[in-house]
Amino acid sequence: MSCYSSVTRVDASSAGKALREPLHLIPCEIEHNGPAQISQYFNAAMKDRKHEKTISFRGRGLKGQELICPQGYTGLVLKEFNKPSSDQEDRTLKVSCVFDKLTYWNLENPPNSDDAVVMAMDWPELAEAIHGAVED
Amino acid sequence: MDTSAFDADNSVSCRLSSIIPDVCKTEDCCLGIDEAGRGPVLGPMVYGICFCPISKKEELKGLKVADSKTLSEAERETLFQKLDDAKGFLGWALHILSPNTISTSMLQRTKCNLNTLSHDTAIGLVQFALDSGVQLKEVFVDTVGPAEKYEEKLSKIFPGIDVTVRPKADSLFPIVSAASICAKVARDHVVKNWKFVENLADVDTEYGSGYPNDPKTKAWLLKYLDPVFGYPQFVRFSWSTAQTLIDSKAVTVHWDDDEEDGEKAAQRLANRSMLSYFSAPGGVTNPTQTHRFFTERRLKSLDTL
Repeated sequence: MSCYSSVTRVDASSAGKALREPLHLIPCEIEHNGPAQISQYFNAAMKDRKHEKTISFRGRGLKGQELICPQGYTGLVLKEFNKPSSDQEDRTLKVSCVFDKLTYWNLENPPNSDDAVVMAMDWPELAEAIHGAVED
Repeated sequence: MDTSAFDADNSVSCRLSSIIPDVCKTEDCCLGIDEAGRGPVLGPMVYGICFCPISKKEELKGLKVADSKTLSEAERETLFQKLDDAKGFLGWALHILSPNTISTSMLQRTKCNLNTLSHDTAIGLVQFALDSGVQLKEVFVDTVGPAEKYEEKLSKIFPGIDVTVRPKADSLFPIVSAASICAKVARDHVVKNWKFVENLADVDTEYGSGYPNDPKTKAWLLKYLDPVFGYPQFVRFSWSTAQTLIDSKAVTVHWDDDEEDGEKAAQRLANRSMLSYFSAPGGVTNPTQTHRFFTERRLKSLDTL
């Protein structure tokens, strides 16, 4: 477990310089953290017809849909540029990408409202109801 | 042969056909089925049918069709032209299975093997001929699998049609040779005109035959391996040649339906990097149990990264 004396910060000022790139949420785990030829292999091959997006990744068929961030929220992709050498040091994360929508993909199944990531977008509204300030 | 309908969108399958000769709608006909490009790791598999009135079998022999494998590419082209010119009594149809269709079908959650895919395609083409009004009485099929079972299957689906399934039927029955020529010519065209849907600069077209044991094909597969995406859709990902190269040279990808050792999977999942937001420092460290609302949405409260 990390030590509570260290603090993790998000450098909010980096958000201004952050890129706005199309974002894809793929239903698999890729053991890779780093650049990939997304525009060449993925964006170029993606098909968007009759409200259904299709693509294949590694020979498997995917079906996708665009998902918009809940109102009032912005999506952030955070990146730690300088990893601390010990868990005693404070950590700083920078915003590497901001987004207000993403495309999520299911393996073979058409996207639907029961997909976890779609349902996850319910949380901000519920959180507001539970934790929001009560006015009298 | 004009394969532009397929070339326009080569990630899905496509059917091409000649006009249906009127005489085929009134006279009893025979039909041959063959495939091209079953073995290669690259490009489409093409199924072809050719049909003509049984009374015209001698005329077909006169066209001197032979098994497509014994002919050169130029000879096949010439023969296809002859077959196509015989449109007064001879019809053909093709079903081009894109390599992407082959990959995604064979790697589906409920896997569809190549034999099933082949059988379904052949059945679809016979049905197409019937739906077009061709008076089918005899069907001849070339097969690589067990002939008897396949013959039984086809006879059941098409009662009233005399079905003959034989290994090497393409050298035994001229109508099957004709079908094999159509299929092979289409495959050659498609491979030659392949437009990569991926945005890759000047792809080397020295693919070789596309067969896994061809040194040119091997070299091409090594050259065009991407560490993340594996291959362009031109490659059949379901072929062991492609899979072996991906497994050894590209990064590992895990799917939720992978057949993975239970212990290993559990270990990996525990090591997963956290992707969400954080809770206040010093907050609850071990919530006793997360509510279903959160687990269903895969939402987690993070206190550490």
